[in-house]
Amino acid sequence: MLRLSPADRRVWLLITIMVMVGALLIPFSQLVLDIEMTYTVRTVALGGSVLGVVSGVLGCFAVLRRESLMGDALSHAALPGVGIAFLLAGRDLGALLIGAGIASWLGVQFIRALMSTTRVKQDTAMGIVLAAWFAAGIALLAYIQARPDASQAGLDTFIFGQAAAIVERDVQLITIMGLMAFIVLGLFWKEFKLVTFDPEFAGANGFRTGLINTMLSTLIVVAIVLGLQLAGVILMVGMLIAPGIAARQWTHKLDQMVILSAVFGAFAGGAGAMFSAVDADIPTGPMIIVAAFAIVTLSILFAPGRGLVWSLLQQRRDRRRFAARSTLRDLYKYACDHGAPSHPVPAALIIGMGRARASLGLRQLEKGGFVKQSGEYWLLTAAGAELAARDARNQRLWDIYREYSNELDLPLIIEDRQRDIHDLLPEPAVRKLEHKLEGGLA
Amino acid sequence: MFAIESLIIDLLMNFFTREEINAFLRNPQNTAIIIGSLIAISGALLGSFLLLRGMALTSDAISHTVLLGIVVAFIIMGAILNQEPDLSSPWLIIGAAAAGVVTVVLTELIHRSGLVRQDAALGLAFPLLFALAIILISRFVEDAHIDEDAVMVGEIGVAWANTNSHCIDNCETVIITPESTRAEFTRQCTNCRELGISPRDAGAEFQEICSNCGTYSPGQAWRAGLIENEPILVFWPQAITVTALMALLTIGFVLLFYKELKLSSFDAALAKALGFRPGVLHYALMVLVSLVAVGAFDAVGSILVIAFFIIPPAAAYLLTDRLSVMLLLSAIIGSAGAFFGYDLARGNFLGIVQMSEVLALLNRLFGLDLLEQWDSSISASMVLMIFFFFLLAWVFSPRYGLISTLLKRANQRYRFNNQVVLGHIYNHQHSEEEVTELIADRLHEHFRWSRARMTRVLARLRAANLIQIADNIVRLTPRGEDRVRLFRQRDLATHAPGEN
Repeated sequence: MLRLSPADRRVWLLITIMVMVGALLIPFSQLVLDIEMTYTVRTVALGGSVLGVVSGVLGCFAVLRRESLMGDALSHAALPGVGIAFLLAGRDLGALLIGAGIASWLGVQFIRALMSTTRVKQDTAMGIVLAAWFAAGIALLAYIQARPDASQAGLDTFIFGQAAAIVERDVQLITIMGLMAFIVLGLFWKEFKLVTFDPEFAGANGFRTGLINTMLSTLIVVAIVLGLQLAGVILMVGMLIAPGIAARQWTHKLDQMVILSAVFGAFAGGAGAMFSAVDADIPTGPMIIVAAFAIVTLSILFAPGRGLVWSLLQQRRDRRRFAARSTLRDLYKYACDHGAPSHPVPAALIIGMGRARASLGLRQLEKGGFVKQSGEYWLLTAAGAELAARDARNQRLWDIYREYSNELDLPLIIEDRQRDIHDLLPEPAVRKLEHKLEGGLA
Repeated sequence: MFAIESLIIDLLMNFFTREEINAFLRNPQNTAIIIGSLIAISGALLGSFLLLRGMALTSDAISHTVLLGIVVAFIIMGAILNQEPDLSSPWLIIGAAAAGVVTVVLTELIHRSGLVRQDAALGLAFPLLFALAIILISRFVEDAHIDEDAVMVGEIGVAWANTNSHCIDNCETVIITPESTRAEFTRQCTNCRELGISPRDAGAEFQEICSNCGTYSPGQAWRAGLIENEPILVFWPQAITVTALMALLTIGFVLLFYKELKLSSFDAALAKALGFRPGVLHYALMVLVSLVAVGAFDAVGSILVIAFFIIPPAAAYLLTDRLSVMLLLSAIIGSAGAFFGYDLARGNFLGIVQMSEVLALLNRLFGLDLLEQWDSSISASMVLMIFFFFLLAWVFSPRYGLISTLLKRANQRYRFNNQVVLGHIYNHQHSEEEVTELIADRLHEHFRWSRARMTRVLARLRAANLIQIADNIVRLTPRGEDRVRLFRQRDLATHAPGEN
């Protein structure tokens, strides 16, 4: 049995759930939405899922390298390649894709050259390539359309994608190209990881960062070119980065992020394609984007440890804990100053010490059975008194740690006074502190 | 809009005859270049500020999401107001402006969650809005006035044909009512369709319907032969008015808020501290970008309009450090692109290269079967010309260009090589280490250089009479020693105070 941390277990659980929900989607769409699983629907859904996996995996790197909009620039930049390939080789899908890939690839190289030789920033460089390459593509398409024969019809579907035209051969092509991309990714995993997270370190350690960058960009170009037919140039950027952004919310580990992103991508692609089959008027590409965005939204809201809902809950918990603790201290100090920990404290006084915080704290403490109210007074229960005494002692130990840690030759830890010093320091060290405390008292 | 056009025409009539104006405007080239330049000016001014604020790609996002604004405006007009959807309606402008603001707000909302970076937030927001637009189009918009194709890829070459006619003289508006003498009537079966019978069948009911009733503008009346004197008309392309308004609005905005824009673009924090409202300005800028994008999509299409926003400012940015010069230069570069782009679309590249000759050459060299006549998209060609000017700026810019940068780097490498070798010799000469450190044909090992590089540097230094080589040991000449001392005093003292 593998030993997994809770965070890891959460991610794998999520992956399992997503796969299962994805599998349930097929009967759901048939039974509830009443979609007929025709050849087209099946092919498009399969194509969408496979493309989701490919672009989800490769998109992770685009997101992590802060090149999210690279997908936008490169998908537009593919157009002149389509035009030139058509002029040279006619309407052959393979040739068109290769042409698109070469044009995008040249676009990447232009962006890098521009950034390394001038003060033009990355976003501007991407915008230049996007617009100029796209213009070249439009100019070429306009020239092609002037041809007397009609063989060019439908070339411009490359701009907006046409999911319904996907056939089984296209899905096979996406699958094979995607697998090849994954093999390259697997072989150079370490290099890609290093260049993505710390390019300077990689360069200093003798990795050829330029070459690795080019390879990674090439893989991203592959994903974009494969997606053009389905999603079109404009939506491809969303297809590329949305699964990665969603996956990033759930984990801090690259391998988990990549797998999760693949699952999200497959889910968005398949679900989007199926929902678009509900009505003939709903286009597939946009529906996939909407599905992907829904996953991103849910992830941003609910991802454990990072999501907005999670941090709101965390804040609330922290506020309560802080209120309870400081109110307990106030009570204890007042009571002890007046004789004994069980000495009653006037309610007006304790509220006056901290207003909203104090009443919140009193509620929390009362719920825990640490204080009780009697008339106009609050008093500590036995449990409350014990807790307060332990806390006071803990604070004293922290004080001593701060003052004498050098002298007593104690290990260096980050001072976190909210926590019990016993949890953070090894036992002998704490004993030294306690000795000092008692000695100081004596 | 119509009133503004009349005003402009009145003004022009003071200087030109009607024939001259019509002949000028009816030439597609003139109209296309005017519209292109006007878009280029608006785009260049706004784009410069976007570039300086590091949000060049926001124009890309907005120009896509403007489609959503247009679609929503269409649906509101059609379904709620029961109006004929019209591309020059104010609703459209409101919709576009709103779409721009929504894009920016959504992006910031995603970014502010603290979980998604700025670029990724933009990359999420605009495909979503664009996807929604396409879904809305395919679900709710029946007529083919708009589709994503028309919005993404416009054509400036047909702008001259879409005109408003303004009457100057002999203006006779004709109204024909059923009572008037010129009304013509036809009999029409009123119940044939619903009963599924032919007009000849019994039971068919008929009604007299006026076939030519209505209001005729002077031009229409003349064409229908309703008036005797030909009205004197000026045909004014609508797109010129729209783009001119955008350009005026942009120029006015930049002139009025030049100081604020400058300050908030370079130092937003300071602008805020000084009591300006950079947030308000930011959104005003975004609204203007949306307006220009929607004003331009008819002519150049919403993807190519990005080029007018991004490329001229980037070119100007490589040429100057002054904001005012940058604004002026980028407007000039954009307009020049529009001017020469028209010819490029017809196959004439700056009068230097003819595309037909290039195509013929390609056919001959590679045995291809390409159409030898180049007739292409004008707006795309304008963008390509702008890009060509950008390439020129990149290569030849005196300060930031490729050539000057490469020369600068070569010069730095040259000086660095000389200085480190001289310094090394200076440190070790006339000491015991001489025999190990300063051996001429092994010196490269101490630097981990290639032998060739070291040989080159040594030859250079020797030719400059800075070093001498005796018994395979390198030493400085007195001149070389002076050089090292000077370098240490002057350059090291200013650059690295800790040294020496």
